[in-house]
Amino acid sequence: MSCGLSPEKLVRLNDRHHMFAELSSDLSALQEYPPRLHFSAKDNLCAQGFQARAGSRILEGYRPPFDATAVARMRSAGRALIGKTNMDEFGFGTFCTNSGFGVPRNPFEIGRSCGGSSGGAAAAACLLEGHMALGVSTGGSISCPASFCGVLGLTPTYGRVSRYGLIDYANSLDKIGLLTRDAKDIRTCLPIISGPDPKDPTSCVQPPLALDGRHVAQVAVPEEAIKNLSTGVEEEFRKALKLLEDQLGIEVRSVSMPSLQYALSAYYVLATSEASTNLARYCGMRFGVKGGSISQHFNDFFSETRSAFFGTEAKRRILLGTYARMVGFRDRYYMKALAVRQLIISEYNRIFQDSDLVLTPSMPFVAPKFGEIERMKPLEVYQADYLTVPANLAGTPHLSLPCGYHEGMPVGMQFVAPHWEERLLLDIADRWSCAFSYQFPEAEE
Amino acid sequence: MDVETVRKVAKVARLRLSPNEEAQFARDLEEVLNYFSILDQAPSFETHDFNPVLISDILREDVPGQDIEPEILKGSMDTYQDMVRGPKLS
Repeated sequence: MSCGLSPEKLVRLNDRHHMFAELSSDLSALQEYPPRLHFSAKDNLCAQGFQARAGSRILEGYRPPFDATAVARMRSAGRALIGKTNMDEFGFGTFCTNSGFGVPRNPFEIGRSCGGSSGGAAAAACLLEGHMALGVSTGGSISCPASFCGVLGLTPTYGRVSRYGLIDYANSLDKIGLLTRDAKDIRTCLPIISGPDPKDPTSCVQPPLALDGRHVAQVAVPEEAIKNLSTGVEEEFRKALKLLEDQLGIEVRSVSMPSLQYALSAYYVLATSEASTNLARYCGMRFGVKGGSISQHFNDFFSETRSAFFGTEAKRRILLGTYARMVGFRDRYYMKALAVRQLIISEYNRIFQDSDLVLTPSMPFVAPKFGEIERMKPLEVYQADYLTVPANLAGTPHLSLPCGYHEGMPVGMQFVAPHWEERLLLDIADRWSCAFSYQFPEAEE
Repeated sequence: MDVETVRKVAKVARLRLSPNEEAQFARDLEEVLNYFSILDQAPSFETHDFNPVLISDILREDVPGQDIEPEILKGSMDTYQDMVRGPKLS
């Protein structure tokens, strides 16, 4: 097996962990590829030869006749797309339990969540050595599953990677990134997927991607972000800070970021407002499932399909976003959320004057068990994102790295860099990967 | 959020909800909106933009082009000759 990945093993792993929403129909072609050149795309990225359902039953049967730019660039670089990874419906979730196509199960313990919404991507990155998973983050959908599955997860600056061919969740927040076991693979693949693309204007203002030339000397830890951590995460994070200081010679500073208290609310207002307009296009006519009789009034035709095929969390977010945009509430919610975003960007910039990176744990707890998730209220689920949301709201690049293990489950830490300074994240990824031993579960044969 | 408001918003969003869904979403969204009220205390900021990084000078001249074969598009929709069929407007 030339690429180190047999089709039989892949199918067996997928039966156990459900990380793929769809596998390539021609896995035997894998044998023609050299080692380490396989990749996957999250199911909200369009790829020829596959359905693109974004975890939603409303998109069942939609087969895009084109590749997303990120997918096309990976293929052009000689990489084989082996499948589309499972995800929360349209990215709406923290635990990957909101997919219309099964729930991925954690590589370290199958009774636990992979994290969301790029849960399948993180599980694939963890279980398949040498694999590169394309993920997408809106509010933490790369860092969260990277943390829960013990892999590296890079979310580049907003606008660094073209989003042409991405099924939008929230246009002012969506970013395509990478999940993998190996820092070197991020260094290799980031330049492949980055760069201007006339098909996505937000990608056309970026400065050239620099991979080297800056060295991390100081990191800042906001005191507001290390409250309310589970004991296991707090212990492992503190050990990681000591390792950064003692072995890598990095100065760790404590700082205050008071505006972080507004980030979660501002994020959910913007994300749901944008999502509720983006999802208006799914009405049984153009994409995916087809509606009922066209002799109905259009309101009934649209409502029938949407009500039958959107999942519960999608409906909840559509309602929330529609409400936040309604006359009378727009200034209170939407405009205020835009102002908070600028406030948080300015606060990051203030800290970046003295520190190279901002550092927090990625998630406040390790991957929860499915039974624990069922008992959580929607607001409690949203609140679990409080560490990943600020950088996503600000569009600043960030990287989650495994930093410890608590009772056998991985703990992640998240570094945030200034806009366009991904090279600082590559520097810390290289150095941390030399100083710290990552653990991966033995894939069962 | 009361059930009456949920119904009104659902109608705008083209969603038909069961009585159980209406009650559940009313409870969930009440809790979430109470949490959002922290935004009332957030200081305002002099500028705001719709993107987190400055997006400017990206306009170009329109150029006619065809990315996808019309036949492929027609294959995924309910069509009659060169037209797309949809539900009645009134």
